[in-house]
Amino acid sequence: MKRGWISWDKTELPPSALEARLGVVRKSLAERQLPALVVYTDIWKSNSARHFSNFMPYWNRALLVIPQDAAPILICGLSPRVYPWIRSVTILDEIRPGANLAQQLLLMCTEKGWKKIGVLDLSQLPHDLYAPIRAGIETVDLPSCAVHLSMPDEFELSMYRHAAKMTREMLEEELRGPCAGPDHHLTGRLERRFRRAGVEDLVILLTNGKTPPRPANGSMLGENFSVALAVEYRGHWVKVARPHTSAKLAASIRERFAAGARNLDAAAGAATLVGNLSGPYPYEAQDSRSAVVGSILAFHVEVQANGERLFYGDTCRRGEYGAELL
Amino acid sequence: MMADQQWDVLLLYGHPWRKDFFRCLINVNFSGPHAAVAVSRSGEISILMSDPWDRETIAASVDGTVAFAFDFAEGLSKALSNLTAGCTVAIAGVELMEARFVEAIGLAAGRAPVSATALVEEVRRHKNAHEIDCMRKAAAFADRGYQYFAEVIEVGMKEYELVAEVEAFLKSNGAEDNFMLIASGGTEVTGMKPPTERKFQLGDLVTTELTPQVDGYWAQICRTLVLGDPNPDQLKAFSIFAEAQKAAEDLLRPGINVSDLARVQNDVFRKYGYGEYTGSKYTRVRGHGLGLHFDENPYVLEDVSYEVKDGMTLIAHPNTYLPLSGYMVFGDSLMVTANGCVALNTTERKLFQKGGGR
Repeated sequence: MKRGWISWDKTELPPSALEARLGVVRKSLAERQLPALVVYTDIWKSNSARHFSNFMPYWNRALLVIPQDAAPILICGLSPRVYPWIRSVTILDEIRPGANLAQQLLLMCTEKGWKKIGVLDLSQLPHDLYAPIRAGIETVDLPSCAVHLSMPDEFELSMYRHAAKMTREMLEEELRGPCAGPDHHLTGRLERRFRRAGVEDLVILLTNGKTPPRPANGSMLGENFSVALAVEYRGHWVKVARPHTSAKLAASIRERFAAGARNLDAAAGAATLVGNLSGPYPYEAQDSRSAVVGSILAFHVEVQANGERLFYGDTCRRGEYGAELL
Repeated sequence: MMADQQWDVLLLYGHPWRKDFFRCLINVNFSGPHAAVAVSRSGEISILMSDPWDRETIAASVDGTVAFAFDFAEGLSKALSNLTAGCTVAIAGVELMEARFVEAIGLAAGRAPVSATALVEEVRRHKNAHEIDCMRKAAAFADRGYQYFAEVIEVGMKEYELVAEVEAFLKSNGAEDNFMLIASGGTEVTGMKPPTERKFQLGDLVTTELTPQVDGYWAQICRTLVLGDPNPDQLKAFSIFAEAQKAAEDLLRPGINVSDLARVQNDVFRKYGYGEYTGSKYTRVRGHGLGLHFDENPYVLEDVSYEVKDGMTLIAHPNTYLPLSGYMVFGDSLMVTANGCVALNTTERKLFQKGGGR
């Protein structure tokens, strides 16, 4: 759950980068003669609003409204008591409370004289917001691709790279230490290490070789096991999986990964898994053929060795044919 | 319930933030973006997952069809393709679902689905013996977690470092997850939030809400700690919070209304001249349900009407801002019994202190 350190380091992500992203939205709105774009966000589905404003709700949900001719406004389910904190970690200044988000949005539209609005990926709105918003104002679907959401800019790429490097290094270092014992113990050590390094969220899946990676459940980890991590660093999710096994097997599975990554579509099958990291969710399994060139994805391979399943995965950028390690 | 409501299919939906509707039937953890289980009136179940690792994990744990789909809307259409036109599909958690999923279900059924959320929530409020056992275990984790919190906190440590330590402790000991908020400082603090890089200082009031999860069930504890000796205002504030929480616990039993549970807490603040700090400007709720979600209905507020029933689990916490102390929290998870309630937490009910001379 998102309970780590949510911050905004302006040397990593200068305000000008966010302004450039908003510029893409405004251009798109102008082309469609729309006064504003509405972006939904919640504790889990926070990638899109983070991209435009660096806002990542730790709780509850919100609508980010990006007018064509003014600064973004947040309609927020969180209490006004935390608005100073929100302002300190985002570009947002105007924040309106909204226990009923749809009602507040419609009030804002009336106040601003907007007769129709754009909604990012309209059909992906939660049903309880979709119905009243559609009933209250004319809406136009603006797909993610229209505002370049799946194509990371240089700042996002840099943060993805940093997150992936940090995750690889910390996971591999942890796996070099003594790991035998219940899977909970390793999970706890990873929690400490990653959250102390300032990550916001962390999903830890483990397998002792008999199952796919899954949340810790008290299984004993022996000589051969694998750990698959999803890590959110400053709003950027990466995935890395590593096996704990002999050096020979580790090299073999690493080679399998490299070969698969070189030709992603040919590698597709039961023993591989591609996940979209550039979408609205932290990660989402996808058909490799649907991964857009330039988007960020996770690629995992599985190898059977002596009746045990070992997993290796990493965060990549989709290239013309394969996946380039970030 | 399905027969009474004339539902042909009941679908329970979950996503990583709200796994509760899915897990009230299939209590297996998942990590992918979507999960749904459909139950027919004859009791057949069909499960759809959006992550292949989840699919395999669930399939190994339950009887029934477990499918996987990259495109969840398409998967729902396929899973419900054998429905008779015009049949009624009820969905628990429909409000949380992406609109395109609801539309796909409507197209498959030949009519728009109806919401089963409120009725399923009502069923979930009464906990059976197994659920109570899980809640007790989760509350024990909350107690141990808070004890650890109070042990490891020290002046100079950053808020997020403390959260990392507590997370590590809870996960190492087998907690499935944890929801946690924190705040530190003085009278300028108006609420809890995620941890920052602020370093704890002598004299700080440190508030936290710890909510560990065991086998799907969440229990909560709210406590406040002073770094150093508490000042008279902090002590006075705590005595008001303790009195308010006790008033709630003394009242809680089957048949009372949650509005009264809120009122008796707020009345204590009113008695001491702090009535204005019981409103939404300074606080959120005076408690809430606990179970498969950590913030369940009913919310304990004076304008919420709901009759408390035997077997419910909830927290009463008069958490709010007071000018005496800044934001303060205090509360325990409670289980409603036939004649009253019992606290699931055993942590001492006091204003905690670390360091100082008293």
